[in-house]
Amino acid sequence: MIAQAASDSINVAQNVGFGIIAALMIFAALSVVTTRNVVHAALWLVLVLAGVAAQYILAAAEFVAASQVLVYIGAVMVLFLFGIMLTRAQIGHEKGLNNPTWALGIPVAIVLLGLLAWVIIDAFEDDVLPDRGPTPTVALSDQFLSIYLIPFLALSFVLLAAAIGAIVLARKDR
Amino acid sequence: MIAIDPLLEGRLLWTPLLIVILKVVVVFVIGLVSTIFMVNFERKMVSGLQNRIGPNRAGPRGIFQALADGIKSFFKEDLLPSRADRVVFRLAPFLSFVPAFLIWSVIPLGGEFGPNDDGTLKDGTVVWFGEVTRVQLADPPIGILVVLALSSIAVYGIMLAGWSSGSKYPLLGSVRASAQMVSYEAALGLSLAAVLLSAGTLSTASIVAQQDSFVNWNLVSTGIVPFIVFLIATTAELNRPPFDLVEAEQELVGGFNTEYSGIRFALFFLSEFMGVVTMSAVIVTLFFGGPQPLFLGDVNVLAFLGPLSGTAWFALKLLGFLYLFVWFRATLPRLRYDQLMDFGWKILIPVALGWFLLLAALREFSPDGTFADSLRVVVISLAVGAAAGGLFLLALRVAQNNRLEADETPPTREGVTT
Amino acid sequence: MSQYLPLVVLLALAVVFGILSFFASRLLAPRRPSSAKEAPYECGIVPSREPPERFPVSFYVVAMLFIMFDIEIIFLYPYAVNHSTLGFYGFWAILFFSVIFFATFVYEVARGGLDWGPMQRYRQLATDAAMVTPERTLASTVRRVGTEGREPESSSPSAA
Repeated sequence: MIAQAASDSINVAQNVGFGIIAALMIFAALSVVTTRNVVHAALWLVLVLAGVAAQYILAAAEFVAASQVLVYIGAVMVLFLFGIMLTRAQIGHEKGLNNPTWALGIPVAIVLLGLLAWVIIDAFEDDVLPDRGPTPTVALSDQFLSIYLIPFLALSFVLLAAAIGAIVLARKDR
Repeated sequence: MIAIDPLLEGRLLWTPLLIVILKVVVVFVIGLVSTIFMVNFERKMVSGLQNRIGPNRAGPRGIFQALADGIKSFFKEDLLPSRADRVVFRLAPFLSFVPAFLIWSVIPLGGEFGPNDDGTLKDGTVVWFGEVTRVQLADPPIGILVVLALSSIAVYGIMLAGWSSGSKYPLLGSVRASAQMVSYEAALGLSLAAVLLSAGTLSTASIVAQQDSFVNWNLVSTGIVPFIVFLIATTAELNRPPFDLVEAEQELVGGFNTEYSGIRFALFFLSEFMGVVTMSAVIVTLFFGGPQPLFLGDVNVLAFLGPLSGTAWFALKLLGFLYLFVWFRATLPRLRYDQLMDFGWKILIPVALGWFLLLAALREFSPDGTFADSLRVVVISLAVGAAAGGLFLLALRVAQNNRLEADETPPTREGVTT
Repeated sequence: MSQYLPLVVLLALAVVFGILSFFASRLLAPRRPSSAKEAPYECGIVPSREPPERFPVSFYVVAMLFIMFDIEIIFLYPYAVNHSTLGFYGFWAILFFSVIFFATFVYEVARGGLDWGPMQRYRQLATDAAMVTPERTLASTVRRVGTEGREPESSSPSAA
């Protein structure tokens, strides 16, 4: 009985944590599109991605959280920043950062949100997630090396394509 | 295994909470004190290696020099360059300082090791105030990935410090530095994979617990190669000599932190030296058994220290690595940038990946470690490795030929190199 | 999850330490800014050119390669931790993944994606004989770089 009450209070704590992080993420995401400086936008995006990692930890998916930080914050955003520095990374406000057709993005974002929400609700309806401890890393490797083997190996080809793309962009061939 | 310090699991217990608060404070103090010690240690050791006296004014033998420097930085004017990006300029020192600090939290700093009365080995847990706990702030199941994640965040501090200064040399230094750090992070991660292969866990406490005798130290059980790769990659990741192109004084004034002054500079300085200590601690944890004693026969030489012997062993091993880093600095000349990148990408990374696959093959096809099995695996691996190496050399040759050809055609517009 | 709370506390402590030291410094340090102090540091020379706004594309390629390696590493870890229960099947899968990955890397190297700076070449005395003749002039021996965008001759030092 006491344990039940305690675990409920933990769920409350988790929900409060989720709410705070989600609010931060929404604020950061809006700042990404409203800030007047490209590098600032990239930094706000880092904050959004860090928020995602924090949510993963709250959901007891620790390995995924670490991968999120390593791959997205540690690598993808560094690539973004290099990409910005390749073209221009001025200090201070810039004019003309907005594409003239930026308003089109709003319906696209809403449709995307609706689609994701629909997929998640359709798949889980009102299932309650099993109350269990952190997902062991071992379970992850069991998954991607067995039933998800084909996507895993396909991923290596995606990376191959990405590398070729980077080279093609970077080298000018005669 | 029951998690230590069960906060928020079941009821809120006061003893674990107190223990955790105590640990946080202790780790914080250890972090600061060890950094101040490291600054002094480095200056004294380097001066010894260069045959000069070094700091000797503040306190006996100059032991308060670093403290005096730190206090002085509070009294120095803190300039904000007129062309700087104000927000990012203020943020950057934190991005570099906080990750260096947080690495301390997953490192086992001590514990009880050695044989129990019944001959089994102790697993490093200690009993404080009637609670079983570890001499480690936190033991997340993915502890070592926390270290990697934090060191990948540290790139931002340097990158943004250079960019936000609005000045040439810091910008050049920071772009160099961030490319260098991400390059060597790949080598770091690959050599770490070899350790995980023999450890079978990502938790730092378990990695230490499993290295219970010299032959089980990961230094030995992974072959020495991952350790060497890890050590070199760490040196580069920390921007220590001979990889300190970030602050190549002759070319870049002071590198990414040229425009920083006063307390902001002090924070960068602190994080640099704290990084040396924390990464040495990570090396000790991963390869040298952390606080595990080194038995001479059956004797634990430092056993007379009782519950502190684990910490003493840890400190002793740590000191060895701190000295090694100082020694590197005093001995090795700085690399050129193309040498640095070539070394990282074309030597360290292929070696680390190849060694990981070799170890995996050995564990898979020679699980008992019999000589015949192992020999067969090694011979096959060598053949495969030779083929891969040949392919790689061919690629290098092709790249060189392409460049020679491009060199002979008259250059239309010289590419800018940094 | 409980294992991350101490981390958060330590994080808060570190941030508070940083903020407090800023605060202390603000109280203790003098504030006498001048335009010379706040100008970009260029060893005493008044800055004449903007800091570079563009960087070589090689940095971008390096970051791209790093993403690839990061993903490879992220997949190696679960295998490394769990290799004993995965058995041969897991080994072959990881080997296949690594082989494709290595092939990508080799391709990148062959296309010069990781070449930095000018090539190291040793000079032959025969081909460079013009460099050491008595008739050599400043123009024949010194290669001038960094002149793009400048007016020809106007920038040459006249006082020397």
